[in-house]
Amino acid sequence: MSSPKARAPKQTAKSATPKSAAKTAAKAPAKKTAVKKAAAKKVAAKKVAAKRRSNEPVALSGEDKVHFVKAIWEGVSKGGKDSGKASAKSAKTAKAKAPQVEILRRIPAAAPQNKKQNALSQKGLAFAAELEAAFAKGELEALSPEATQALMGAICKIYGANQESGNKYPILSGRMAVTGTDVMITCGGLLKAADLQVFELGMWQSWTGI
Amino acid sequence: MAEQFVGKASEFKDGDRQIVRIGEQEIGIFKHEGEFYAYSNFCLHQGGPACEGLTIARVEERLRDDKTSMGLHFTNDMNFVCPWHGYEYDMKTGEHVSNRKIKLRKYNIVQKGNDVYVIA
Ligand code: FES
Repeated sequence: MSSPKARAPKQTAKSATPKSAAKTAAKAPAKKTAVKKAAAKKVAAKKVAAKRRSNEPVALSGEDKVHFVKAIWEGVSKGGKDSGKASAKSAKTAKAKAPQVEILRRIPAAAPQNKKQNALSQKGLAFAAELEAAFAKGELEALSPEATQALMGAICKIYGANQESGNKYPILSGRMAVTGTDVMITCGGLLKAADLQVFELGMWQSWTGI
Repeated sequence: MAEQFVGKASEFKDGDRQIVRIGEQEIGIFKHEGEFYAYSNFCLHQGGPACEGLTIARVEERLRDDKTSMGLHFTNDMNFVCPWHGYEYDMKTGEHVSNRKIKLRKYNIVQKGNDVYVIA
């Protein structure tokens, strides 16, 4: 025996409004017919499949034929029981067809140059940035000739000594935009200041390999 | 077009590149400033490995009002350079920097969690 409490929700569900009750009543036969039709289609399709398997000639009634053709025409309905199988099959085929990804090369980023700078180097970097900023503003006389000569001399000495001692590094960094003309003028000026000819430079380079 | 898994996002440091072959296509995948970019690795000049050369900041020549040069400067935009003859492409668009009509084929990248996919 069920308690009145347990029955209560059933009663609520049944006690629908007259409007919705009429709608439900109208829908019910239509739904039933659709279910019947679908079942008939399935039966027809199954009959044909069974006959095919047994290699017997297929003899279908007129109604069966109609249902069979309809079933074939409609194919696998979306979201239906068979659609899962069909999509799984097509996914499998797609997977098999998907081109393989082959990793050819990995090119790592250039090593970061974040070496800790000592106090003098930090000053040097700040000074170079100041000079670049002045040059960008067009202040060509930002550095006096005496200051330029002193700096150039000091840099020549320190760079030359580092190279000779085996601490080799390029004189300009990759991110520095210095034109070929700048380089030729500066090199020419340095050679002239030291009373050296270009052929002497060439000879010395071929002897030492520096 | 399908999503093709090309690697884990955590395996790419900023500035890293990976060249992959997917079917008949060769694709260069870049990580630049936290974003992924993918371009065809076939240079539009003569088919060189466009994505395998230098990556370099764009160089700009600044001029004074009288059009005299104030020298060359690096900007913050990044380019990559085909190693064969130096065609230079914009990292963010794949366009040739001096002729924007020339453009490498760009592939979309989808990131799902830590997985990176190229749509190819
Ligand atoms: S093939 Fe790339 S620049 Fe010529």
